[in-house]
Amino acid sequence: MKILVEPNKKDISCYVSNCDALLLGLKNFSVLNTVSFSLEEIKDIVNKYSDLEIFVKIDKNLFDNDLDLVKDILLQLDKLRIAGVFFYDLAILQFKQELSLKLSLVWSQTHMVTNMKTCDYYYDQGVSFALLSKEITLEEIVDISKKSKIKSIVEVVSLPSVGYSRRKLVHNYYEDLGEEEVSPVLSVLEKITNKKYLVKEEDFGTGFYLDEVLNGTGVIKSLYEAGVEYILFREEGVSDFLLLIEDSKKYINGGCLDTSFVEKYKKLGDSTGFFFKKTIYRVKK
Amino acid sequence: MKRIELLSPAGDIERLKVTLLYGADAVYIGGEKYGLRANATNFTLDEIKEGCSFAHKLGKKVYLTLNIVFHNEDMEGVYDYISAVVDAGIDAFIVSDPFIISYIKNNHPNVEVHLSTQNSTTNYKTVEFFQKQGVDRVVLAREVSLEEMREIYNKTKIDLEVFIHGAMCTCFSGRCALSNYVTNRDANRGGCAQVCRFTFGVEGKKDFTFATKDNNLAAYIGNLIEAGVTSLKVEGRMRSLYYLATVIGTYREIIDRYYDSTLNDDILKVLEERLARVSNREVSTHYLLGEASAKDQYYTGRNEASNQDYLGQVISYDKSNKLVKIYERNYFIVGDTVELFTPKGDRLSFMVKKLYDEDMNLIDVARHPDNIYYIYLDTEVEIEEYSMIRLLHH
Repeated sequence: MKILVEPNKKDISCYVSNCDALLLGLKNFSVLNTVSFSLEEIKDIVNKYSDLEIFVKIDKNLFDNDLDLVKDILLQLDKLRIAGVFFYDLAILQFKQELSLKLSLVWSQTHMVTNMKTCDYYYDQGVSFALLSKEITLEEIVDISKKSKIKSIVEVVSLPSVGYSRRKLVHNYYEDLGEEEVSPVLSVLEKITNKKYLVKEEDFGTGFYLDEVLNGTGVIKSLYEAGVEYILFREEGVSDFLLLIEDSKKYINGGCLDTSFVEKYKKLGDSTGFFFKKTIYRVKK
Repeated sequence: MKRIELLSPAGDIERLKVTLLYGADAVYIGGEKYGLRANATNFTLDEIKEGCSFAHKLGKKVYLTLNIVFHNEDMEGVYDYISAVVDAGIDAFIVSDPFIISYIKNNHPNVEVHLSTQNSTTNYKTVEFFQKQGVDRVVLAREVSLEEMREIYNKTKIDLEVFIHGAMCTCFSGRCALSNYVTNRDANRGGCAQVCRFTFGVEGKKDFTFATKDNNLAAYIGNLIEAGVTSLKVEGRMRSLYYLATVIGTYREIIDRYYDSTLNDDILKVLEERLARVSNREVSTHYLLGEASAKDQYYTGRNEASNQDYLGQVISYDKSNKLVKIYERNYFIVGDTVELFTPKGDRLSFMVKKLYDEDMNLIDVARHPDNIYYIYLDTEVEIEEYSMIRLLHH
């Protein structure tokens, strides 16, 4: 099982020795990023760090006027040593099929990657990996990872993203207040659950995040045993991040037997997302 | 030229019948499983059969939502369920999961598959992908503009379905799990708690809300037809009979007048006012003409009004005694000016001069919702079952 890191800074030299792969958002075509990289910057990184696997994130909802540029980018990426492209919009898969690209794809439709049959469907369509939804249980993740033909990727540590809108929600809020926008980020409190969320406006819309670190360090062993291909650590909002991935790497290399790792990283908090919590959808009347 | 389809929601068998009688060409319904309104009434298999039979006799269609994002456990029984719904006579499934799409197309090739808006389809390349999978129609994302609709149609020639009226999501459909995190209710499996309509606190500032106003494209029906759109969809499987009768009846008139070249600005204004009377939120065109803006949302609290216009549903009309029997929904009195409208589109405005209770006692006030009342009305117009009465003014 490999460690995949989504960095929150442009200088990626600090990650090289401690992770197997980096996930880089492509400028103008990725969302829910802290930093994004131009195609030229990605080319430089690929050339400079030959031992590092590079995944590229193209997960914006694409509109017709994006398509020509996306096609051109995919053709260029196809010539590079890229480990894969995380995609949300099915136009990317259509391009791969239409242009017979060799590029590996990662099905990354955030909250929609939730079952084995559909993972297998995408595998049959030429998709190599699936970033499983954060909103399914560990049991479901293990089941999919063991039984599906697709290679699974699981997000284990992050400030979890919980929604994405095309609207400029922070800008609109300040406009309505008649105040100058002081920051593209708002910290908001959901009053019933008393939980904080971050509302971050980007170039193409607004992302929502739970302002609480998802701590999946306790499930890494189960994911390792289930044959998960990569575990994903998103750096934004996580303190002592480099030490965390260094320790995680050692933990995995040791067969996930060192129980002190799990004890140590209880400090990340007790938010385990939906690993042990099943959502409901019918409400008793 | 094929006329555009008016597609209505229907939460139960009565609403299905009413909305078809008021002019919908097709309805979309939810079954007891696999739809995105898990907490609506929804249809049993027998009701689906009854609904399909009713619609087909009128030359109309019924579509079933099968558009949850499936978990492993949801796959159990889904094949049998699909077969049973096909046997019940369904015309199309509305699906978001591509595996389910491929299953239906491989096993029930005579039934149409419509790609759900849950996929947030926003470009023609994605449409091309789903065309290859056999999808017959694409329900476009609500973020797509009129010009983009036109381009997608011109490049793919696929049937396009577009939301024209009703509630909007704040986020891209399918790309939102706010409900999961805030309430543990799974948005993509039919449990959405509409968290985007909640109020959030901001330290030292006014509360943050980001609820959207409703969608209303009544003024652009001609543009949508000319852009190549196949189906105009009204949102709201949980809406009332009165709402459906008014909204569907009004859009029926707009569409028919467009084709008959009798729609002008004055008539459109009247029809838009009629739509406004059943709406409890302000409306906007959102992304149709470009980027959505601050005016499309509620930041200063929601300006929602409870609607008391709907006075009752007509059960029958006794021509000899000139009495309309109604099932009352809201208080009204003798002297009120009301409008009776029928599924065929007739409208009668009159003052309530005589009013009787169920025992035929002459009364001045109908004050008890869910009771039977009789209103005196002398007319030659045929007043059918499911006609409705609304208040014009006290």
